[in-house]
Amino acid sequence: MPADATAGAGDGARPAAPGGADAAATGAATGVEVIRLEHVTRVFKVGDSEVRALDGVSLSVRAGEYLSLMGPSGSGKSTLLNVLGCLDTPTSGRYVLDGEPVEKLTEDQLADVRQRKIGFIFQAYHLVARMSAARNVELPMIFAGVAPAERRARAREALVAVGLGHRLDHRPDQLSGGERQRVAIARATAMRPRILLADEPTGNLDTRSGDEILALLERLNAEGLTLVVVTHDPRVGGRAQRRLRMRDGRMAEDG
Amino acid sequence: MGLRVPARELFALAAESLAGHRLRTSLTLVATAIGVTAVVLLTALGDAARRYVTEQFASVGTNLVIVLPGKTETSGIMGSFGGTVRPLTLDDAEALPHRAPLVRGVVPLSLGSASFEYGNRSRDVYVLGTTWAYAPMRDLAVTSGQFLPRMDMRRGERVAVIGRKLQREVFQGENPLGKPVRIAGARFRVIGVLAPKGMGMGVDLDDMALIPVATGLRLFNQKGLFRMVCQAPDAASVPAVVKQVREVMMQRHDGDEDFSILTQDSMLQTFTSIINALTAGLAGIAAISLAVAGILIMNVMLVSVSERTGEVGLLKALGARRAQILSMFLAESLLLSAQGALLGVVTGVVIVYAAAGVFPELPLAPSPGWIAFVTALALAAGVSFGLLPARRAAGLAAAEALRASR
Repeated sequence: MPADATAGAGDGARPAAPGGADAAATGAATGVEVIRLEHVTRVFKVGDSEVRALDGVSLSVRAGEYLSLMGPSGSGKSTLLNVLGCLDTPTSGRYVLDGEPVEKLTEDQLADVRQRKIGFIFQAYHLVARMSAARNVELPMIFAGVAPAERRARAREALVAVGLGHRLDHRPDQLSGGERQRVAIARATAMRPRILLADEPTGNLDTRSGDEILALLERLNAEGLTLVVVTHDPRVGGRAQRRLRMRDGRMAEDG
Repeated sequence: MGLRVPARELFALAAESLAGHRLRTSLTLVATAIGVTAVVLLTALGDAARRYVTEQFASVGTNLVIVLPGKTETSGIMGSFGGTVRPLTLDDAEALPHRAPLVRGVVPLSLGSASFEYGNRSRDVYVLGTTWAYAPMRDLAVTSGQFLPRMDMRRGERVAVIGRKLQREVFQGENPLGKPVRIAGARFRVIGVLAPKGMGMGVDLDDMALIPVATGLRLFNQKGLFRMVCQAPDAASVPAVVKQVREVMMQRHDGDEDFSILTQDSMLQTFTSIINALTAGLAGIAAISLAVAGILIMNVMLVSVSERTGEVGLLKALGARRAQILSMFLAESLLLSAQGALLGVVTGVVIVYAAAGVFPELPLAPSPGWIAFVTALALAAGVSFGLLPARRAAGLAAAEALRASR
């Protein structure tokens, strides 16, 4: 298990520590456990019947790991991603995120957890069409109550970091697909989260832009961010150090 | 805890969203503005009517106490058929100043309508029977000739003072003084022309003929007076005058109160309450259009929420709390209604002033009280009609909201 190689090396604080970057660059995950699932189930009621989207999933992820999550449609990977991202809560089981059990948190507390610890990247980018790239990146900081001047500086910084320093005032419809996903990545990292959850991040992109986006995500991972990529595409999934495969709500493969 | 986001930021987000849907926003704005404008216009009209009536009463003369035959409460059946109503007579009019010392002067009035003929021209007019004392009481002046001569009110001379309009219509530039005319077939001589006075208490003095009251009663074969107008020395003594007049009249009518006494105050109050009801009714109608605008706001916000399900999901994924999303959508509907109210008030005020310029005789002015009320109402509508959509947005489950637009 690569996760064991340098276990305990990180301190679990800021992900961009130089030591973490070095360790990740050698292909090793670092540090403490950031995600721990114990026998997590998620049951949806569909009419009279119940669908077990997650059926006893256990998982441990350490800071700085790079995971891919694959599986056929309906295997439960999106549900798992929602649970990991605190957008959804388990029906039963335990979820400890960054040392904090989240299954008992209130709605507002879950919102705060998402805000501080998790960055989402979606297949369809989910940019707000009427807002400029910079304003889109500012959005999470607005709701976090970051002061306007600091917010603008950080948005610019995040966009420069993804190579869009020259596109600050462009609206999404003036950007290419690859550029839009870069804006989304800048937005996901603006609040300096510990975990990036990417749901088919290259699904709407051609191979070249897709590779660029993956390279960008992998660079962020190398800087210490924990990265989880959900994908159908074996070529994308194969790039991760740790590959999870789901079937019928269970973890079928891990490694 | 709490909102964490300054209201300014929420309104900035709301403004961005509204600007993103220009057509929808402007249509809703116009609808709200029309509702608000309607309230501003209709209440201005109601207020103008009230002011107009008040001015009319002031122009009739001040501190007047008016005696009418018949009791107001029992008018109708009792008054018409009971046979217990005694007419007001010239004797009453003569007796009043002697027996009611507070009364400054009494003017008896008779009223009939008849054709006024000169040469081959004729015009149907009201013919008011009165005395010389009517001129100072109503502040009447003549432009040529003289008013009714100072004489015993029982003398029935065949002289007439005519209004400006009547003179213009019938004499058409000819000098009417001394000309023989026929009123209801009887011969009269024109002795004066009134200066323009306009409407007063529902009758147009400019289109009337004034003749001695005794002549009027005889001409129309009337037993009783149309009314008696008593002048009080000042506003404060009006109630005392009313009391004296009532006592004297009841004595003269064998203890029966078969007459009514009106003061300008009481009449004004009646008119004011009628106009208030009218204004409130108009405002109510206008408020309905405002309610329609409110429902439109709700509709727009509901469409906006369902259209932006994905956006709400995104905001939740980014860590926006329920209260923040609720406030953001509320800010949007509040902004919408506030802008609509502002637009409506400005439009309404401009129209009122423009109308006041076109109709200078109407005392039209925007009513600040109603404007404040309708603005508050529009804002309240914005919040209350925005609440349901905002709650719907805030209540969306994040994962499903995101999936809906995936």
